[in-house]
Amino acid sequence: MRLELQKITKQFPGVLANDRISISVDKGQVLGLLGENGAGKTTLMNILSGLYRPDSGKILIDGKERIFRDPAQAIDAGIGMVHQHFMLVPVFDVTESVVLGNEPTKGPLGSFDRATARAQVVELSKKHGLHVDPDAKIESLPVGVRQRVEILKALYRKSDILVLDEPSAVLTPQETEELFDIIRGLAKGGTSVIFITHKLNEVIAVADKITVLRRGAVAGETTPKKATAAKLAEMMVGREVQLTVSRSKSHVAEPILQVKGLNVLNDAGGRAVNDVTFEVRSGEILAVAGVQGNGQTELVEALTGLRLVDSGTVALEKKPLHAGSPREIAMAGVAHIPEDRNRDGMIKGMTVAENYILNTYHLPQYSKNGLLNRKAIAAATEQAVKDFDVRTPSINTDIGSLSGGNQQKVIVAREFSRNVRLVIAAQPTRGLDVGSIEYIHRRIVEQRDAGAAVLIVSTELDEVLALGDRVAVMYEGRIVGILDAKQATRERVGLLMGGITK
Amino acid sequence: MSAKKKSAAPSRSKAAPVTATKRLRTSSVGDGADAHQQLIASRVRAGLFAFFALLSLAITSGSAGVEGKFAFWADKVGGTDISFSIPVILLWAIVTAGFGAMAGLQLTRGATFKWRLAIGLVSPILVFALLARLLDGTTANLTVFFTSTLSYAIPVGIGALAGIVAERSGFLNIAIEGKLLFGAMIGSIASSLTGIAIAGPIAGAIFGAGVSLFLAWLGIRYKVDQIIAGTVINIGAVGVTTFAYLRVLQPHSEFNRPIGISPIQIPVLSEIPILGPILFSLSPYFYLSVGLVLFFTYMIYRTRWGLRLRAAGEQPNAAGTVGIDVVKLRYRAMIIAGLLAGFAGSYISLSGTGGFGVNTSAGKGFIALAAVIFGAWNPIYAFGASLIFGMTTAATTLLSGLGVSLPPQILLSMPYVVTIIVVAGLIGRVRAPASAGRPYDQG
Repeated sequence: MRLELQKITKQFPGVLANDRISISVDKGQVLGLLGENGAGKTTLMNILSGLYRPDSGKILIDGKERIFRDPAQAIDAGIGMVHQHFMLVPVFDVTESVVLGNEPTKGPLGSFDRATARAQVVELSKKHGLHVDPDAKIESLPVGVRQRVEILKALYRKSDILVLDEPSAVLTPQETEELFDIIRGLAKGGTSVIFITHKLNEVIAVADKITVLRRGAVAGETTPKKATAAKLAEMMVGREVQLTVSRSKSHVAEPILQVKGLNVLNDAGGRAVNDVTFEVRSGEILAVAGVQGNGQTELVEALTGLRLVDSGTVALEKKPLHAGSPREIAMAGVAHIPEDRNRDGMIKGMTVAENYILNTYHLPQYSKNGLLNRKAIAAATEQAVKDFDVRTPSINTDIGSLSGGNQQKVIVAREFSRNVRLVIAAQPTRGLDVGSIEYIHRRIVEQRDAGAAVLIVSTELDEVLALGDRVAVMYEGRIVGILDAKQATRERVGLLMGGITK
Repeated sequence: MSAKKKSAAPSRSKAAPVTATKRLRTSSVGDGADAHQQLIASRVRAGLFAFFALLSLAITSGSAGVEGKFAFWADKVGGTDISFSIPVILLWAIVTAGFGAMAGLQLTRGATFKWRLAIGLVSPILVFALLARLLDGTTANLTVFFTSTLSYAIPVGIGALAGIVAERSGFLNIAIEGKLLFGAMIGSIASSLTGIAIAGPIAGAIFGAGVSLFLAWLGIRYKVDQIIAGTVINIGAVGVTTFAYLRVLQPHSEFNRPIGISPIQIPVLSEIPILGPILFSLSPYFYLSVGLVLFFTYMIYRTRWGLRLRAAGEQPNAAGTVGIDVVKLRYRAMIIAGLLAGFAGSYISLSGTGGFGVNTSAGKGFIALAAVIFGAWNPIYAFGASLIFGMTTAATTLLSGLGVSLPPQILLSMPYVVTIIVVAGLIGRVRAPASAGRPYDQG
């Protein structure tokens, strides 16, 4: 089926999320929809899937106008969504998950006809080469397989138009390749695919046609043949972008952070970090790669004192770091850019200035006898806002009202405001626009050049490869390999991320 | 090369990593995540059981020479007695042995030990042993004891069912108590005014549904915190019904003289010796309750409605994106929950004599909540939990009727204390519907 969106406009309070966006995809075609966070991709897809209604504009399927009042109508029209955050019930099994909403039933009570459902799922997965165990519980499945379940869900509903929202975010490079194979296969079979992403290489690899969104509007259309990564990035951001981080050779000196035999438990008491040993030296960046959920979060939390260490030692400049006291660790010269800035990085509802002194307010220059020295705080914050190019109306603005990039800049400014010996940056650029990503990368490299040790944890392979002087890969709580930048190719790191060490 | 190999057999070998921790968490005993916690929990339980064993040993040694005297009505309620007696010391020896065995098994088997079942087996004997000891030679009628156990379980069991249906849909239903109270009052009034027995439960159920709908409206439409909204209803129910009782029902007692719904004799079955008077001469409410519990167990686990209900309670977004109207589904579930709770409430005022009284539900709605948790959101298990409550209440009634010299306050609080110990003290980890209590935002 041919899908066409004509001049879709959607206004939210204060934001024009979609501004007369027109896109189209033909039968059997793969449309790559490229855009940064906040470019309006998700809003557009929510309109297409019936969750939102556009303020104006039309949705045409095979030339006929359709109006979706709720998701059920969009599904009926043949649109299948695979959401970025999977829409699956963890305690259900695969069969139940696939048929939910269109369950085969029998009898007067509407008894769930499991046997029929299971047979349909088996047949469907055979037909499309999507291998899953129909009886496996969702929560026991790895993410790549869950994604297959999501695709099966769409196919089960006879979707002719499949929309995938940032599908590679949680996959290893090899899993992503497999996903591309699936997408190509589906397109060959006549399914139209809309592939939403912010990753340039992926659209070039899989799309037949590329539409770029910027600030809620279409910034351009092209094909993979005509496009280059640099060109696409320029379209996406609106100016020329440096895709590689420029950095001089590192001058590695003495070890700053030494971790030996570290074991850390997760919330459920399971071993999240398993016998991890590594060191980070002054003047180098160690980038930790790995698919989300392989113990990186717990590792960072343990190093920053947010989580108790089960066993093993952590030393900062030869002195043991006592877990359990984040302040002690921060004061010892550790800068922490947390993975989830909304949870661990800042307090929404408090001002930029208050967030700026969040972990230094107790120092004599900011408070005396329990009273804050507002003047000193304001002066320091003003300076930081200037230095770090934070775009905020004032330092007394609620940090929650700033853009993600500016929030992150406040956090980085705060963390770098102290004497820094070690930088621990977890997903430092997640969800940021390209401009902010460049800026934050530059700042981190500056710290390295000033002699700090830097530990970056990232699930974005591009980021790891761009920044790491050495690359460590975590898989199921272990460090399965540490490579020098020269050896760290996409292929090699990718295999390690999947736990393949040979 | 290995990459090629991988894509050849994709489903298993590429089992990716992301859920490493999750997988551990959900996997069975022994590996990883849970093991540590479960080990601690089972040691704590083992210690607790050992303590109980010592306690009962002490009672055993002090029980020499006391006879526990029990009787049944053989043919019908109030009929011929069959009596027998057991040395109390023997009962207590069994209890001691039971607890001792539980402590030992819990320690050696760890998390695989089915301690819930064990508690279920030991606690009836414990209740008897306690009874016999406290009676100190007076004869206790077990037919009365068992029938009242089953009867007391009715409002709690159905209340728990109301909680389960609501919470499975994702709505935290803590207002069961309030709905019981309203159901009791409205049931009594309706029955008194119409002179039709069946009008009571029907009116109670309908009114309960109305209250429930109001609660759902607050929680779903306005996203009022479900615990606060429920608490408001619970407190409001006490206020409104007490006021109505003092101002209307007491001065105009014709409003509060319901046609009671009395026990029925099921033909043939009620004539079975001993069992007949216990199981087959009960209030119609009881048989309906058992039917409802079985019906809803089937509905929740085996039907399309149940699948969608559980999906909405676990991951409403997953349900919403496949076109299920989560909001409507939750409203419906809350109406059903209200019908059930109101129906259960009507039992309180219609089963006995005297109709509605001030705060006549006496916390049964909260006990029902406890039963929901103990029963792990499964109607049958929850009904089992309400039987424990029923049994303790029956024992209390029996003892106070026979004039056992314990302060009445202590006696009356016993069922609640036992419930708290069972639910809070011994509970393992049960998994609540993941989204119960969270408003659904359709966007």
